[in-house]
Amino acid sequence: MSDTIAEPTEETAFLELHKKFIAANKPDPALLPVQEAALSRFETLGFPHSKHEMYTFVNTKNLAATPFAVSNPSSSIPEKIISDHTCSGSETSCMVFVNGVFSASLSSLKAIESSVKISTGIDNEDADRIIATLKNENDVFACLANAFCTEATVIEISDNTQVPVPVQVLFVSTGGTSAPSMHSPRLVWKVGELAEVKVIEKNVGAQAGYFNNSAQDWMIAEGAGVVLTQVQSDPFETWNFSKTRVNLKRNARFHSANSSTGSVLVRHHFEGRLEEEGAELILNGVSVLGGKEQVHNFVRIHHEAPQCASRQHFKNVINDEGRSSFDGTVIVNQGAQLTSSDQLINNLMLSNNGHADNKPNLMIFADDVKCTHGATIGQIDEEQMFYLQTRGLTKKAAKELLTKGFAESIIQTIQFPEVVAELNNTLLKKLETKNV
Amino acid sequence: MLEIKDLHAGVDGNEIVKGISLSINKGEIHAIMGPNGSGKSTLAKILSGHPAYETTGGTITFEGKDLLEMDAEERSIAGIFMGFQYPVEVPGVNNAEFLRMAHNARRVSAGEEEIDPLDFDELLSEKMKMLGMEKKYKERNLNDGFSGGEKKKNEILQMAILEPKLSILDETDSGLDIDALRIVAEGVNKLRSENNALILITHYQRLLDYIKPDFVHVLSKGKIIKSGDKELALELESQGYDWVTSAN
Repeated sequence: MSDTIAEPTEETAFLELHKKFIAANKPDPALLPVQEAALSRFETLGFPHSKHEMYTFVNTKNLAATPFAVSNPSSSIPEKIISDHTCSGSETSCMVFVNGVFSASLSSLKAIESSVKISTGIDNEDADRIIATLKNENDVFACLANAFCTEATVIEISDNTQVPVPVQVLFVSTGGTSAPSMHSPRLVWKVGELAEVKVIEKNVGAQAGYFNNSAQDWMIAEGAGVVLTQVQSDPFETWNFSKTRVNLKRNARFHSANSSTGSVLVRHHFEGRLEEEGAELILNGVSVLGGKEQVHNFVRIHHEAPQCASRQHFKNVINDEGRSSFDGTVIVNQGAQLTSSDQLINNLMLSNNGHADNKPNLMIFADDVKCTHGATIGQIDEEQMFYLQTRGLTKKAAKELLTKGFAESIIQTIQFPEVVAELNNTLLKKLETKNV
Repeated sequence: MLEIKDLHAGVDGNEIVKGISLSINKGEIHAIMGPNGSGKSTLAKILSGHPAYETTGGTITFEGKDLLEMDAEERSIAGIFMGFQYPVEVPGVNNAEFLRMAHNARRVSAGEEEIDPLDFDELLSEKMKMLGMEKKYKERNLNDGFSGGEKKKNEILQMAILEPKLSILDETDSGLDIDALRIVAEGVNKLRSENNALILITHYQRLLDYIKPDFVHVLSKGKIIKSGDKELALELESQGYDWVTSAN
């Protein structure tokens, strides 16, 4: 036995935290093999540093230096936070998660009682499937999300079911503890054949000081359609990471729009697999950043079958010292002929100190496909500004209009008026900072 | 209304306008013609307040106020409208919404309340009808993907909505086919009154077949080398610019 005491590393800090987590939360026993597999994969991968290709643009130093505490899922939350963030139309179809754990008592599910089955536990089949994916999981934080989930919430929509109202998922983090708390909502969506559902997911915090690290699997059966709107509107001193894995069967559709308003670090990882012919995946995103906020989107789309389509369009508005980054790869497998795929990232820089990194990639192993990719970084067009000013608009009004106009093509894909209004307000607020 | 005295101006340190003096009164139409590079568009840019263009000498007053001291938006509010040679495309900005904002900017500065959106829609429909414009222009984004003719029509629509005292139309006829030219010109004629004035900047005489100017000025190498009535434009058309430029 060595008498040398090893320097504590980021890995050991998270492993120690995991022990505390198990003791404090007593997670669902069915999840234990999943957690073991996730932790083992985490140990193999190690805590990422900036030299790690997946984290080139993401500064994890700050995260590594933060001693996290285990979240308390039974923390009370201000009542108003739920009513304030419930979208109209989802008042009786809102699933509330407090510090990563589903709260049946705070949720209102009357409108979807008969169309959506929600259970807080996974069966062996699910566990085996998740363990199999973890073996190839290269995202350290996705591993941590699986290791630190208290329970997995399985949401099932049976074949031929059209969910009558949008389902809202509200992730509420309480924050405010002496050490920032870490929690991991774990959701598994099973959308049956020819089923249709619209989902609005919102991430909010009562107070700052938490790390919300979620993982979601979307298994979408033949002919089914999902419209997902993800909204991140946490307070600044927070970390919000998400891993969204989407598996699409024949003719299935997954259309998502992501809106991020930034925090210390927001990171979204999308992994899409178009497994059978005719599947369609749309990922749109808009980030509005000010101060020192950072948003990173990491996308991997696998075209595994012929005749599938994927579209990605991300737009970032960057003011002050905001930082946006995008790392996306579309992989077209051998045999995935007649694939149609687009990937575009546009950045609007409103300050000299902002930062935008873009890495659009294509890997094509088929010979009859149509794929595009590209990225732009630009500033407000002076001629457009002048044109609007000659029509009597002040410089401020012209800048607001042009910035809103830049983000408009993504914002208009969001189907929830409250989300659109909130995003526009945030955008205007961030424009009001020192650079205008 | 507008007094230009010995104006010298240019861009990037190059003097392009070299001493222009011009006086424009209410109800008048002035055509400024000239070969390429004579300084026509520079004059238009200076009048509209483009930040890249610099005045190096002379004065411009509009209704007694020093125009050169005013920003582009102040000039617009004061009643000056610039019809662009190349109207700028602004994706993501809805045409009707933009027009309402521009209309309201003027109302608010005049101490009036903003117009009710429904009332504005009615006003917009009326003006569009006058210009023979289809309803789709309301839904589209500002000049985004518009053809050359559509852009010019949209400029005249803005002019109709803003009801300026002085309009400067910079090569509004360029790039238009004869049908589009006639529609644009008819629109401009409908907006004429005894209280407003118009400066038409053009390279070709044909626009003046539709909009009859009171005065024609020929610009060459940054100076007005000849002024006259509409007959001057016809002579220019038949004899070419060499006729006046070589004589000077």
